[in-house]
Amino acid sequence: MKAWRLPAILAFALLACGVSLLAGGSAIAPDAIFRALLHPHTHSDITTIVWQLRMPRVAIGAVVGAALAIGGALLQGMLRNPLVDPYLTGVSAGAAAVIALALLAGVAAPALPALGFVAGLLTAMLVAALARRGSGVDPNRLILAGISISALFSAIVAFAIARSNSLDAAQSILAWLAGSMAGRGWHDLLFAAPYLALGVVLALFAAPALDALRVGDVRARAVGVDVDRAQWLILAATSLLAAASVALAGMIGFIGLIVPHVARRLVGSSARLLLPACALCGAALCAVADAVARSIVAPSELPIGVLLAFIGVPAFLYLYLQQERPA
Amino acid sequence: MIALEAVAIGIAQRTLVQGIDARIADGEFLAVLGPNGVGKTTLLRALCGIRPTLAGRITLGDAPLRSLSPTQRARAIAFVTSDEAMLETLRVRDVVAIGRYPHHPWWEWSETTADDAAIEDALRAVHLEGEEQRLLTTLSSGERQRVWIAMGLAQDTPVLLLDEPTSHLDVRVAHEILALLRRLATEGRTVICVLHDLNDAAGYADRLMLLGCERMLAYGAPDRVLTPELIEAAYGIAVTRIDTPDGPRVFSAVNSAGDERPSR
Repeated sequence: MKAWRLPAILAFALLACGVSLLAGGSAIAPDAIFRALLHPHTHSDITTIVWQLRMPRVAIGAVVGAALAIGGALLQGMLRNPLVDPYLTGVSAGAAAVIALALLAGVAAPALPALGFVAGLLTAMLVAALARRGSGVDPNRLILAGISISALFSAIVAFAIARSNSLDAAQSILAWLAGSMAGRGWHDLLFAAPYLALGVVLALFAAPALDALRVGDVRARAVGVDVDRAQWLILAATSLLAAASVALAGMIGFIGLIVPHVARRLVGSSARLLLPACALCGAALCAVADAVARSIVAPSELPIGVLLAFIGVPAFLYLYLQQERPA
Repeated sequence: MIALEAVAIGIAQRTLVQGIDARIADGEFLAVLGPNGVGKTTLLRALCGIRPTLAGRITLGDAPLRSLSPTQRARAIAFVTSDEAMLETLRVRDVVAIGRYPHHPWWEWSETTADDAAIEDALRAVHLEGEEQRLLTTLSSGERQRVWIAMGLAQDTPVLLLDEPTSHLDVRVAHEILALLRRLATEGRTVICVLHDLNDAAGYADRLMLLGCERMLAYGAPDRVLTPELIEAAYGIAVTRIDTPDGPRVFSAVNSAGDERPSR
């Protein structure tokens, strides 16, 4: 039992969020940030920066990281495949295609998160419909449908970039694809909060069945799991979490893929420890990555998706190759 | 008691076996025999309620099996099946603990002392005590088979169904597992087990069910079922039967030179 590690991971996640608050374009001393946190109604530039710029960024980073990591753990468990991430549901590809077309058509930026959310969710429903077999979901069909639909929508994105007459539109599409939380605020988080909350509730309903699903559908049914219901719950939870994350931060890869592996190493594979550990590790990683992304080349920003790819790919390869070593 | 009345089973409306009538008493050890593809695994899945029958009725005690909820069925019947793909981070104890799933309401996530005791008993029964934290990928296929059996035992059900529990096991461990199943049956648990080795079946089971030619060819005590005629009808091979103090044993003629070798 590695349950004792959860409080340590919680402390680490809080520390990561605290460190993330320190990062930004203006250099603000930690004690000033601390005072601003304690006195949110004081009228000062520092209070405004902390409460209106940095806090929503850190909160969105933590929420997106947690949501993607939970989604990844759910889908990896259900499909018994350690190489899938929540974007397999087609959420990100569908959102990217529609947002690329919207940018091409000149749709105003504030409308994009909602548009991306709806497009992502509709794509996930299409993938789920294609993966349906009988009253449940066929894992192989889900993987094939997810990859195929994602490839189709990626082609639409490429088409939109190729057809864009203005450099601005093409850059906007690429910036969105690279993932960023720049310019996001409390109102964006409020928009996504109900869907994130619903996703987490559905995940909690499905979680007890997750361990059994990992040893195969037949065994899961034999121990009393309603496999079809659990699969739909997991798919709905993952789609909601991924779509809300995409609406908040664009495409942020690798968190949904890597964090469940890290969390499993820390607390084991039992869902009751794994899901909270995923949420905390995902929140910590995304918050820290965002802090680095916005301070490493300040005053401009590095797209967090790009940064995570630089960190994520070697980290994933290291973890995976270590795991492959004989005991 | 489990009763089967005129049961037909199949896959996608294609009938594999029909006309299965049997009454399996509490504490009975039944071995299901038959050639590959005849429907033994499908029958076991129907018996644990995860696959519907094409016709007929299966009852558990007085209740039709299909009328029970998945949890009720899982508290009464455990099903041990062979390997499937899985994530490589599963540890022995994690897998065995899955057997406790039907004993928890969905909101109860933590393990109880009853869970701990059932998991430890199951691990001890298959001689895997001390191996709880090993990853499944580091186990031999025989050890992994014992983990699946331990998961079924941890489910703590009056009925235990096993699909080829001795596959991948060396002869000593195979006999240990069969002796364990025999003991469980003697203690009152109903054991229904698909086996390929006819002599193992004759040595350990109370009754045999022989499937073949899309029907149940025979159901009864080993000396009634393991006849050269029935075995030839089921498997299409000629066998010689020798009656020993421990029951009948059969040997197949495997080449034209007339060499006779054990059936497995």
